[in-house]
Amino acid sequence: MNAKIISGVVIIVAALVFGAMTFIDSNIEYTDFTKAQAVAKKVQVKGKWLAEKETNFNASTSQFTFYMVDDNNKECKVVLDGGKPNNFEIATEIVAKGRFKDGYFHANEVLTKCPSKYEGDGTAVKKSL
Amino acid sequence: MLGAILVKITFAAAIAATILYILQHRKASEDILRLARLFYFGSVAGILSVAGLLLYYILTHQFHYYYVWSYSSTDLPLSLLISTLYAGQEGSFLLWALFTGIIGVFLLRYSSKKGYEPELMSVYTAIFTFLILMLVVKNPFKFIWEQFPDELLKVGVAPTDGTNFMWIDQARGLWSQIPVEGKGLNALLQNYWMVIHPPILFIGFTSMSIPFAYAVAGLLKRDYVSWIRVATPWTAFGSLALGTGIILGGYWAYETLGWGGYWGWDPVENSSLVPWLVCVASIHTMLAQRKNGSYIKTNFILSMFCFILVLYSTFLTRSGVLGETSVHSFVDPGMWVYWLLLIVIGTFVFVGFGLLVKRWKEIPVAPVEHTFISREFALFLGASALVFVSIFILIGTSSPIITNIFKGKTSAVDPSFYVTTTLPLGVAIALLSGLGQILWWKNSKSDVLLKQLMLPAILALMFTVVTVFFGATHVSMIIFIFSSAFALFTNILVGYRIIQGNPKMAGGAITHVGIALMFLGFVSSAKYDDVKTVNLEQGKEVEALGYKLKYVGYEPIARGRFAFNVEVQKDGEKFVVSPVMFKESENGSLIRNPDIVNLLTKDFYVSPLSLEAGDQEQAANEITINEIEPLEIAGMSIRYLGYEFTQSKEKGNYLVAKLEVTKNGKKEIVMPTMRNMTGDISFDPARHSSGISFTIKAMNPTKDKAQSSITLAVEGIHAHGEIKERKSDTLVVEASVKPFINLVWIGTFSLIIGFAITIYRRWQEAMRNEAWK
Repeated sequence: MNAKIISGVVIIVAALVFGAMTFIDSNIEYTDFTKAQAVAKKVQVKGKWLAEKETNFNASTSQFTFYMVDDNNKECKVVLDGGKPNNFEIATEIVAKGRFKDGYFHANEVLTKCPSKYEGDGTAVKKSL
Repeated sequence: MLGAILVKITFAAAIAATILYILQHRKASEDILRLARLFYFGSVAGILSVAGLLLYYILTHQFHYYYVWSYSSTDLPLSLLISTLYAGQEGSFLLWALFTGIIGVFLLRYSSKKGYEPELMSVYTAIFTFLILMLVVKNPFKFIWEQFPDELLKVGVAPTDGTNFMWIDQARGLWSQIPVEGKGLNALLQNYWMVIHPPILFIGFTSMSIPFAYAVAGLLKRDYVSWIRVATPWTAFGSLALGTGIILGGYWAYETLGWGGYWGWDPVENSSLVPWLVCVASIHTMLAQRKNGSYIKTNFILSMFCFILVLYSTFLTRSGVLGETSVHSFVDPGMWVYWLLLIVIGTFVFVGFGLLVKRWKEIPVAPVEHTFISREFALFLGASALVFVSIFILIGTSSPIITNIFKGKTSAVDPSFYVTTTLPLGVAIALLSGLGQILWWKNSKSDVLLKQLMLPAILALMFTVVTVFFGATHVSMIIFIFSSAFALFTNILVGYRIIQGNPKMAGGAITHVGIALMFLGFVSSAKYDDVKTVNLEQGKEVEALGYKLKYVGYEPIARGRFAFNVEVQKDGEKFVVSPVMFKESENGSLIRNPDIVNLLTKDFYVSPLSLEAGDQEQAANEITINEIEPLEIAGMSIRYLGYEFTQSKEKGNYLVAKLEVTKNGKKEIVMPTMRNMTGDISFDPARHSSGISFTIKAMNPTKDKAQSSITLAVEGIHAHGEIKERKSDTLVVEASVKPFINLVWIGTFSLIIGFAITIYRRWQEAMRNEAWK
């Protein structure tokens, strides 16, 4: 074993360890509101928007507030820093990333999952007849 | 019918060409070669006619095709209508196959001159075949009634009322109703970037298969060394095309989609960046191999990974495995894509790396003859750094899959993961791209090296001090700025010398100048930007980030969109930015496009958030109360005291509700009325002295006090209980200043020019040497 190979191996191992640690550290876990409440960490929660509940944008704080239910049907108020996400109304599912704070879920990002046009939608075809 | 048949014929021709080329490799014969070419050209003609046919159906609005109905509509302008050809899953595979076919024609001519045709084309046509297979499985010519039989298929007499229909089987009386309008193109995609970006990106994807094909062809021919000379111009072309595609995508995100930046570490962006990085790494190790014959195996491995990673990228973004972890929202396209892509990746990995393992012992090993301070070693380290960046990005992007395997739950990494892991490597890449230019091949004399290092190092240091003076903070950022500045100055100095000698050799230096400028632009625009949310009441001037902003009103622009004009003033200069917001008609989703003032030293970026209508906050609150329990709302206590019912011939029947409203200790009686004049019901609101009005919405008048209830609309209260005066419209925007973002774009240009020069040089070189064997 010469010095080159040893130093190479050391560098590779160090890089991989560094990568793995950062990976574990910055992984945002998928969870539900019940668990999100228990941990202070940044998490993401998948669910559906409750259209019938209060949904508004507060111009003075520039926060968008809405209610959503997670996959276990637990309801929670979500306050997003920023405006209403694109495709919000038509999203079949939404994912809120953030952490629990004072009884509501404080999100800094909300992703929307669209009924992408790959899906067959019988109502859409009826409309276009 | 015609389309589906054409796809199958094309598929058959591509398979035939692949088999014939493999036969030709086994046992050369003029006849087989001629036949192989014939079938290949046939398959290219086939894919051209498939694309032409689909385009024809789109342009003529033949909505009885499911694909045409799904992505296009009659109101799209021509350029966007053409772009719907590749707006969907099937269409994008079609575009990819189309480019693969066309580029293959040039590749065929080139490789036949180099004596590489049978081997190269057998691999390349196999890739082409796989792309057409995607179209066979997911047919873009599916009829709409195959998708919606329940809604559309009818049996019986054909309609005579003008309904759009089509006979399917007239003898059996089977017909289908046909839509008169398509679903249209996603509003987010409706701009000229949709016309430019995907084709360039797919040319890049196509080109990534060429290094793979050459590497496997080299193994097949047992040519372990000189294949890289044949492959280099194509590898460089692939880097250029894919790199341009990636940057254009970033610019699209920045300029139109309003994500606030040009890069979001999104899986779609990442997964096209990774093959590009590996391809760029391979250019460097190929250069080292040209000079001293080492890194032979490395070049095989990297070249193969260029394509394998494109396939993996396709798998990540098309199979639905990422699910909801991406902004590019995907819906599971079905298990077939998932398995087919996995099988295809497996096949190409097996063919490529299987052959490499089989030939491993045969491959010559050149002893490493250079020292630690040599250009070869810098190239090797640089390529390693690029590979490590790729590995980290790949791990981060695959996080949903990794966490699913180990924890049973999918989760993504925070974008900070990418910054943390790639920043140190970025520093290394920047330093090496400077060092590599002044180091000599084989060995450098340290005293000469130090002398050459002096000037760029001093310049970089001065530059860094200036940036710190102007507000650069964070040690890691300052180190990154220094190393990027070092790369910049070294490459400018070296590049200047080369251009005076032989400009054709300056490609590398110009490319590295571009990279250094981009690095500096990334730091200044993404790390030192200022962001602020501003409320702009119409007509009122607001100061933010050193700019004076005034919202002057909105105006309709093309296709139902609205531009919101904001006057921006700074140092006596005046601009108008017009961010755009509009409701996507079909489903009412709000689409927002930012607008940018591009100044020499910065961009002023205005992204609209919402328009708050002046009277919107005076929203009505509906309350329901019964005669027993009082209700508290907005600092008032309301008691329902009952109702009076009066019948009169002249005035009709009317109900008067009696409410006792207590506010600030003062009691007041308010009486809203409901009239019924010969079946015509009307409501008269009653106003409290504070200006709040009450209107009856519904009543349940009974004798039972607990059951007797009234529903009222209460208007004029603010969320905090205060009475609100009427306000003008307020435009809410996110304003940001992105310093020196122009460096990113100038750097991109420099990068593209550098690559173009390199391609030209390597192309000429390849053409001059007609017969390497």
